[in-house]
Amino acid sequence: MKAYPFILILLLCIAGGFAVPAAAGPSSVSVTSYEVDPQVPIRGDTATVTVAVQNTGTESVAVSRAMLYGSQIGILDSPYQSVGEIGAGTTREFTFPIKTAVSDGIHYLTFVLDFREGGSLRYQVPIRVESTDLAVALVERPDVFSEGRTDAVTLRIGNPRSAGVTGVSVAPEGEGYSVVPSSAFIGALAPDQAATVTFNVTPEEGADVSFRVSYRNGVNTHSTLLPLPLIISEGKRRADPVLTNIDLEANAGGYRVNGDIINAGLETARSVIVTVGEGATPEDPYRIYVVGALDPDDFSSFEVTFSAPEGTAEVPLVIQYRDDEGNIYRSSSAINLGAAAVLPDQGAEGFSGTAIAVVALIAIAIGGAIFYSWRKAKTSQ
Amino acid sequence: MVNRKMDTQIRMNTTVVHALIHPGAFFSEKMNAHESLKVPALIVLATGLIGAVNAYLTTGYTMQLMPADMQSMGSFIAAGSAVAALIGGFIFWIVVAAVFFLISMAFKGKGSFNRTLEFVGYGYLPMVFGSIASTAFAYRYFSTVQLRPITDVSQIAEVTLQVLQHPMMQLAGVVSIIFLIWSANIWVFGLRSARSLTTRNALLTVGIPVGVYILYSLYSLFGGL
Repeated sequence: MKAYPFILILLLCIAGGFAVPAAAGPSSVSVTSYEVDPQVPIRGDTATVTVAVQNTGTESVAVSRAMLYGSQIGILDSPYQSVGEIGAGTTREFTFPIKTAVSDGIHYLTFVLDFREGGSLRYQVPIRVESTDLAVALVERPDVFSEGRTDAVTLRIGNPRSAGVTGVSVAPEGEGYSVVPSSAFIGALAPDQAATVTFNVTPEEGADVSFRVSYRNGVNTHSTLLPLPLIISEGKRRADPVLTNIDLEANAGGYRVNGDIINAGLETARSVIVTVGEGATPEDPYRIYVVGALDPDDFSSFEVTFSAPEGTAEVPLVIQYRDDEGNIYRSSSAINLGAAAVLPDQGAEGFSGTAIAVVALIAIAIGGAIFYSWRKAKTSQ
Repeated sequence: MVNRKMDTQIRMNTTVVHALIHPGAFFSEKMNAHESLKVPALIVLATGLIGAVNAYLTTGYTMQLMPADMQSMGSFIAAGSAVAALIGGFIFWIVVAAVFFLISMAFKGKGSFNRTLEFVGYGYLPMVFGSIASTAFAYRYFSTVQLRPITDVSQIAEVTLQVLQHPMMQLAGVVSIIFLIWSANIWVFGLRSARSLTTRNALLTVGIPVGVYILYSLYSLFGGL
């Protein structure tokens, strides 16, 4: 009977020795989940790896430390050098910051949990690194841009990545243009999803426009740039008011110009007005001649009155019109004042009456002299 | 006493001014004197000088229509036109006398060409005043207008016509015609005496060419209206 306690202890020891492997910890402790944020890092991203460890046993397990190891991916910090106990039936999470300065692909990190009473728990955490950028495409734009004319430019932003991104926004960059809206916010973009944004761009001469698409992958900010090819020229279809049949006439103190204006373009010219430009002063009664709308191949007559300083050889005749979107266009053509080279002063009008009276007096005097000469000749005979 | 009174009457009838209001008596008296072109030449010279001033002013102003590079030659062209007007006055005198002389031949006129030339020269006297009046009108007109340089050379003729057909310039032309009629009246009496013509034939001799010239002048002045 005396040998029973020893045998029992031996059997218990043997049984205990089989139950707890020498390299492993308590069987009640296991990794239940892990999470990588962002889910799919881009090369160079900073991410976090969170490993959840659960103690399914009925007693607490003492843990000395928790570590994360990687051969290529850098572990930025190891904050769990002294962990303590994991209570019975509880779950403990361990979060490690990492730097994914590695090539695209799947890389493994090793999570190690060392138990205070010997043994450890090891778990392989796969990290998928993918550097695919967002796809940005121009889906609508005019063939050519016109200086000062507003045209719509539509972009489609797609997410070809295997994970979603957040905070997607589009902002135009460059100079020499104005745009509405100044930026567009899309927000989160799930994998294989796309969003569309439209900008109204008004370029000036020498404009340089690009669209920068910015987004966040976890805490990391990324962007991609899409240049907008700007070919500025007159639109192929836009209205083209042309002046013709110009008749310039000098009058007292100024000029009066008549003519026809024809729309030689393919679009309607709206709110067409004709006046004189710099170098001449519009005068009543036709300072500005409002023609109104001119359909393609339609024409209208106009009349403008103005004055110009002495010595002015030519003045610009300005045409202003709008397109259907309200964009304002101006064009001008020079009028040669040599065509009406004589400009009498205001006083000339009053002088002509006096001149006629003088001529009449001269005629009467000479008529009298002639009459007298014949009468005298008749008397002499 | 009677002779002295007659001499005084003769001197009065032969004064140049007398030709203006009593040309019949003036030329009758001149027929008794020797032919002399001195005074008529002076009258034509005076007309030519005033015409030269007129031509210089008119050309000088109209040169403002020319492009800037041509305006530098304006003074030379104006001076040239003045000289041409002066010389042209004498040429025109001879041409007018020759025309009258030839036409009067059709009416069997008698008398030398020099006498005709002399009397035609006296007939230039009203045109001295006519030239002064025309020049005054032209100067008054040009001093009240602004002329722009013409860049399109093809428009020069059109614009020049526009300048010359201005009412003020037309009035100047009408004044010249009125004084020409006065001259023609004197020429009638001059030709009647110089070529021994009847009054009717003298009227035809002078009236035909002068009438044609006046019609042409009126057409030039008002043809564009």
